[in-house]
Amino acid sequence: MKQLAIIITSLLFSILFYDRSIGLNLSIFSLITIAFLVFYNPIKFKNKTILLHTFAYVLTAIFVFINHSYLSVIANCAAFFTLVGTVSETSSSIYVQWFNGIYTTIAGIIQRNFDKNEDTQKVNWKKDIDLAHWAKLIGIPLVFVIVFILLYKNGNPIFNDLISQINFDFINIQWVLFTVLGYYLFNNISKPIQVEPATSLDLKTENELYKSDHFSEEKLKKEKQLGTTLLGLLNLLLVFYIITDVMSLSSIETTKASELSNHVHSGINTLIASIIIAIGIILYFFRGNLNFYAENRTLKNIAFSWIILNIILIILITIKNQIYITSFGLTYKRIGVHIYILLTFIGLVTTFLKVLKIKNLAFLFRRNTQIAFVVLIVCSMINWDATITKYNLTKAKAYDVDYLIKLTDRNAVILYNLKDNIVISQENKNRIETKYNNYMLHLSQRDWQEFNYEIVANLEKLDKTKD
Amino acid sequence: MNLPGNLAKSSLLASVIFWIIIWSKEFEMNMMPFVLLSYIPIFLCVLIVIVASICPFFWSAKNEIYTKAQVFKMCFPYYTCITFGLCCYGIITSDYDLYFSAFCISAYITTNQSWVWFAKENTNTNSHDNPKQLINCEQHVTIEK
Repeated sequence: MKQLAIIITSLLFSILFYDRSIGLNLSIFSLITIAFLVFYNPIKFKNKTILLHTFAYVLTAIFVFINHSYLSVIANCAAFFTLVGTVSETSSSIYVQWFNGIYTTIAGIIQRNFDKNEDTQKVNWKKDIDLAHWAKLIGIPLVFVIVFILLYKNGNPIFNDLISQINFDFINIQWVLFTVLGYYLFNNISKPIQVEPATSLDLKTENELYKSDHFSEEKLKKEKQLGTTLLGLLNLLLVFYIITDVMSLSSIETTKASELSNHVHSGINTLIASIIIAIGIILYFFRGNLNFYAENRTLKNIAFSWIILNIILIILITIKNQIYITSFGLTYKRIGVHIYILLTFIGLVTTFLKVLKIKNLAFLFRRNTQIAFVVLIVCSMINWDATITKYNLTKAKAYDVDYLIKLTDRNAVILYNLKDNIVISQENKNRIETKYNNYMLHLSQRDWQEFNYEIVANLEKLDKTKD
Repeated sequence: MNLPGNLAKSSLLASVIFWIIIWSKEFEMNMMPFVLLSYIPIFLCVLIVIVASICPFFWSAKNEIYTKAQVFKMCFPYYTCITFGLCCYGIITSDYDLYFSAFCISAYITTNQSWVWFAKENTNTNSHDNPKQLINCEQHVTIEK
């Protein structure tokens, strides 16, 4: 029964993906995968964490259909690996779940067979020899028959004609191989496995920090003095930098793109350096016993104030980037800056929590990777090309039409709809029309496996294009 | 370690996979002599890859207290993930070129299977050669029980 399930899903895999591009097929594949995992691991699917990851996977599958972007496909793959990893071990960190998920997907059956053979090696050795014997029995004569056919072909024209008439074209070997790939994939994920000792080590590692045996008050006092001096001076420096940055912010000319760009990029570089050093220094001082030192209050307060100052620095960069966006429109890089700022902010908040609640480095990695995963899923929910186009053409003071035309086809419809409301050259209008027509033609030629929301929404227009 | 036996089996496996993938797209009877001749370069490739990337794991563990099965369990997951990533990267950057894809796929499957063959030969031979490994193996079994 279980083998039958794998065979059916591998056939479905071929029907969905063979010689097709991504679309509805990936969404259906996600649902099949969930059903398959539930069928093989019914008890595990009563766990809340697994249900949550299943929901995330379904969500990404829906957004693959709706947005049909590279980001949604990446998010879907990440959610797939996370779900498989969660089924293999529910309580491990998300990065270990990714690793377990990837390992299960690419080599699950090899590991499982190895584990099984290790236990039953003595019992099965005879069977192995039989297999080798059968391989020899079929393989060696086959090779020699083929060699002799090739030799005899040149010696006799009638024999040559007969051999040439043999035609295996009715068998699509590529389709068969693709189905074998599907079989391999589903066989791998049927019983998710764990990477050891990484998983057991991760399970043993707690989030809490504990006082070690080598607790020397004198040493800690010196370390605290060094930390207070260093962080105090850095605080002063950052305050001074923020004051000058606020002053420069008020004098920015929003008409000059190059000046704004320069402000944002130099600000981002400062931010990257500052945040990395800030987190590094804080992690160094609060790595061990200093967390339990009775007189660490001042150092903690200075560390907190430095984190808050870095958050102010983040806000300033956000304002600069937003001024840039309002004046010259959205681009992927500018959105990237906003996302980077968000992740940095989250990184600082988790560092703050680490110091406040006396957590270890594992806590920081676990929380940050979890949040990064959520951010990836949230970002995959948005059709960025359409958002950029709509914002630039309706709200931005200035925009680059060439940039908008060069974006992927996912903004073709919106660009076409808005082209008459904006002032652009006839040449650009023609380019937009060509892009739209090509996109419609491309959509109309798609098979059901490659369908996406845009096709469903534009069915009438597509029918006209077909005609 | 039975390196010659492993190399013979691996190169045969690699040849079979390589040519099955190519034949799935283009098949001509005239290719047969090349198929037989291709065993030599494939053997060389397999030799280089196995000796350079798999054997060092087992050789380095020879003097340690680890059995080959333990080496497999500890190192294989990382090895297979890295080779899978490299093969995927190679296939994508070659723009799905048939011959290069066939090479990458056969290399990936062969190296994985080669790991299994190396690790499996351990229990009957090597642990008896090395008393440390035998002790460790027994401890491992006791813990599992």
